[in-house]
Amino acid sequence: MRVFGPKELQTDIIEKGLCSGCGGCVDICPYFRSHRGKTAMLFPCTLEKGSCYAFCPKAEVDLDELSMRFFGRTFDGSPLGHHLSIQISRAGGRVSSPNFQAGGTVSALMAFALMKGIVEAAVLTDREKLLPLPRLVKDPSEVLRCASSKYSAAPTLSAFNRAVREGIDRIGVVATPCQALALAQLRSNPLQKADFKDPAALVVGLFCTWSLDFRAFKDYLAGKMDPSIIRKVDIPPPPAEIMEIYDDQGKREIPLAEVRQLVLPSCSFCLDMTAEFSDLSVGVLEGRPDLNTLIIRTERGMEIVSQARKEGFLFTEDLPEENLKHLAWAAANKKKRALVKIKAEGLFNTGDGRRAVLRFSDEAAGAILAGEDGK
Amino acid sequence: MTAGAKKRKEAPRLLMGNEAIARGALEAGIQIASGYPGTPSSEIIENLSRSAAERNIYVEWSTNEKVATEVAAAASFAGLRALCVMKQNGVNVASDFLLHLAHSGTRGGMVLVSCDDPGALSSVNEGDSRPFARILEVPLLEPGDFQEAKDMTKWAFELSEEIRNFVFLRSVTRMSHASGSVIIGDLPAETRRPAFRHKGSLLDPDNGPVISLFPGIPELKHGPQQEKLRRAADIFEKSPFNTYQGPEKPELLIVTSSACSLYSREAVHLLGLKDRVGILKMGTTWPLPPELVKRHLAGTDRILFVEEVMPFLEENVKILAAEAATDLGIKYFYGKKSGHIPSVGELNPDLVLSALRKILNLPSEKDPSDFLKKAESIAASAAPHRELTFCPGCPHRASYWSIHNAIELDGREGFVCGDIGCYTLGFLPCGFGTLKTIHSMGSGTGIAGGFGQIRRFAMNQPILAVCGDSTFFHAAIPALINAVHHRSPITVIVLDNRGTAMTGFQPHPGLAVSAMGEQAVDIDMAEICRALGARVEIRDPFDLEETQRTLNLMMEEAGGAQVLILRQACGLSPEKKGKKLFEVKVDESVCVGENCGCNRLCTRIFRCPGLLWDGQKKTARIDEVICAGCGVCAGICPSGAITKREAQA
Repeated sequence: MRVFGPKELQTDIIEKGLCSGCGGCVDICPYFRSHRGKTAMLFPCTLEKGSCYAFCPKAEVDLDELSMRFFGRTFDGSPLGHHLSIQISRAGGRVSSPNFQAGGTVSALMAFALMKGIVEAAVLTDREKLLPLPRLVKDPSEVLRCASSKYSAAPTLSAFNRAVREGIDRIGVVATPCQALALAQLRSNPLQKADFKDPAALVVGLFCTWSLDFRAFKDYLAGKMDPSIIRKVDIPPPPAEIMEIYDDQGKREIPLAEVRQLVLPSCSFCLDMTAEFSDLSVGVLEGRPDLNTLIIRTERGMEIVSQARKEGFLFTEDLPEENLKHLAWAAANKKKRALVKIKAEGLFNTGDGRRAVLRFSDEAAGAILAGEDGK
Repeated sequence: MTAGAKKRKEAPRLLMGNEAIARGALEAGIQIASGYPGTPSSEIIENLSRSAAERNIYVEWSTNEKVATEVAAAASFAGLRALCVMKQNGVNVASDFLLHLAHSGTRGGMVLVSCDDPGALSSVNEGDSRPFARILEVPLLEPGDFQEAKDMTKWAFELSEEIRNFVFLRSVTRMSHASGSVIIGDLPAETRRPAFRHKGSLLDPDNGPVISLFPGIPELKHGPQQEKLRRAADIFEKSPFNTYQGPEKPELLIVTSSACSLYSREAVHLLGLKDRVGILKMGTTWPLPPELVKRHLAGTDRILFVEEVMPFLEENVKILAAEAATDLGIKYFYGKKSGHIPSVGELNPDLVLSALRKILNLPSEKDPSDFLKKAESIAASAAPHRELTFCPGCPHRASYWSIHNAIELDGREGFVCGDIGCYTLGFLPCGFGTLKTIHSMGSGTGIAGGFGQIRRFAMNQPILAVCGDSTFFHAAIPALINAVHHRSPITVIVLDNRGTAMTGFQPHPGLAVSAMGEQAVDIDMAEICRALGARVEIRDPFDLEETQRTLNLMMEEAGGAQVLILRQACGLSPEKKGKKLFEVKVDESVCVGENCGCNRLCTRIFRCPGLLWDGQKKTARIDEVICAGCGVCAGICPSGAITKREAQA
């Protein structure tokens, strides 16, 4: 992959609105910081190559290279990415929480990994009022506190970077697709450090179609309610077309069409709906609010799922064909939309030394563009 | 007096110009002195405050220059002699009252000293205060050496009492801050007993009320005032402070004043022109004594004006020459208008030399003007390069660090309006380029208040202002009141370093001590702001995280004017100077240096002079000689390589 420096990160990504605020560049140095969902460069840095640029999921991402590194094959553009198996799941009898967004699979898996010492610490996303905040958790009981979807951008990876600096070498992460992609780049040691060792022991990816601009979302909600007393946010499956906000007074419904206006511009450049560069990916299961869809992508992911199931932390069964088809359709659509956008902006497989957002084979690109379209 | 004592007294003493002015005022028997600190004027009040107890005089650092002139005027109205001191910018502040005072006139002798700063060596501009004498219609004196600085100050009080108006005395940096030989005189044994007589008629200058104007009848006050000025001009015709050196009929006449008269003498001497060039050194520069000037103009056809900043003498002499043109004939004038003398910056002998060479067509072989270049090259090789920056341990660096970071994190292109003080440097790299407007004292707050109002037209940028603690009392309060009253959503940051630090730690109304070292009432600026209805937060700028966090919250929540007081004493303050709070060290094995992960944050961006980059080891280190031990750099180091440990007492 081509690696540039902080100056290019600032001009190509932050200034052009391509930053998703994943936190990949935050807390590796004093220059990039995250504040209320946005990443800011505090001072100029003169280095020509930097981790900040190398980790960024919108800056010169080579999907073939990453796919080779993690899955031993080039990126083929298939809707759900490389996987070994797809299941439906929910937390087992050993864990439960009122905060679970759906089946509680993510919390169950991470609590289990911590308890078994598979990971020393888990990087999760907590919330302070409406603001999502990264948190490094070492006690399994704290995992449940961070349960539930946040829907707006969080610099979660900054906590991962902090954990690495603290010297923790088996870290679990719950990551959105952009965060998982940044993490995959971090894990490929792009600056070729001699003493590098992959510190990610378990990556649980989250399905994601978009993420909201926190500041815009808060301002929007402030016109309707007191954002400081919000307890939970949910988007029920189609065709509801609403966002549900739970606060002390109960549930409020907001038209999803209005909320979509607040989506980060960078999300329209994202091909990944199911966090393909993870060990396990988890999302909702349409039509069953108490269950999750679980994509198992790696051997170590498979191993953890089977252990967790054995010890009563997780319940799984096969995914019905109808659900799989619908999931693949949605994922393929996201891929196609984003690729069209990136190509239109002239940021795909650029030549002449120009910097790209994304690189992978024209063959896979062709497959994506020929795929599903509309319903 | 014994012969020995007399001899000792008559022996010249080495006095700084400002000391000479203070001595002149003491010899004149002043009983009141007031002022506001400002380089290069501050030593005058400081010297007088040290003599206050012995001489039984009252000395104060006033809240601002306008108040200072009002305090001095009151003493004059009661028949006492009073001195009022400020730098050139202070005259702007005082000018409103001064115009009134010039009309009402004075009783006891009152002298206003303005110390100008040509070249703006320690000022934000090089404003020339002399034109104020013309605007205010009061006499102006300019000492040409150190003896004159003392003698002229003393005489100015006599002149003031003679014409019943205050007298303006203008010094410059090279006069106020240089030292020279002065023979001192006696100090008066008696003091006057004050009485404000006000029961006489409205037009009685000695016993009536002191009022500046009769509405609609300007001739009642303005007329007599102009008569006073004519009397001053008559007196100036014979003044010993106007001197002439040179041949009776010079090829070229230099008309000059103040420190420029010394540069002129040196240039004429260096070029061996004393038989060809005459120097008319004017001590009484407004109103010019017309007969004296005309007499000298009659002796030559060519006139060179050597003066700094404004072409003040130049224009006033040209007016006299025009008025007398039928007698004097055509003259050739050289100076700022002709380009022979620079219109900007300080003068020096070299500049006068080059003007003389041009006008007199002299060869350049004897020209020693490369002296400056030589001096600069020697200085460059012998002294380490240091940019304009805050001192080690300066709280402003820490404050600007947090302000800068808060604005960048906020991400809405917020900006800070600033004004005058050490913190003016905030527009430079040492303040991380934080200040975006800089004008007069208190104007950062006023301008921010205005920006706050235009937010209603969909401007989303957060608006901040900084002002110093002394500046807060001096001129920021009315601007803050305006902002609070009109609900201007701004954040005013008071950089409270516990004194008027830039000018040498003079006290201000926020401190419990007066210029004379007496107990004073310390006024709580936070309570003032709260009483105005502003939200007030107080933080320690050395707590970088907390300061930045507070500022971000304030910017996000700005509904009306709010105040953040960042309180931490100046590193050079008497209580801190020479004492290290922390021993600061760099662990070279931990320092990331110029690698990804730091890239020399401390020596490339933070740039405290106490931090050095070791180019060989590629790590930072502490310059233990100049490190003030504030420990702030330990808080910015991303790798924890910089550590601080409480210093042993």
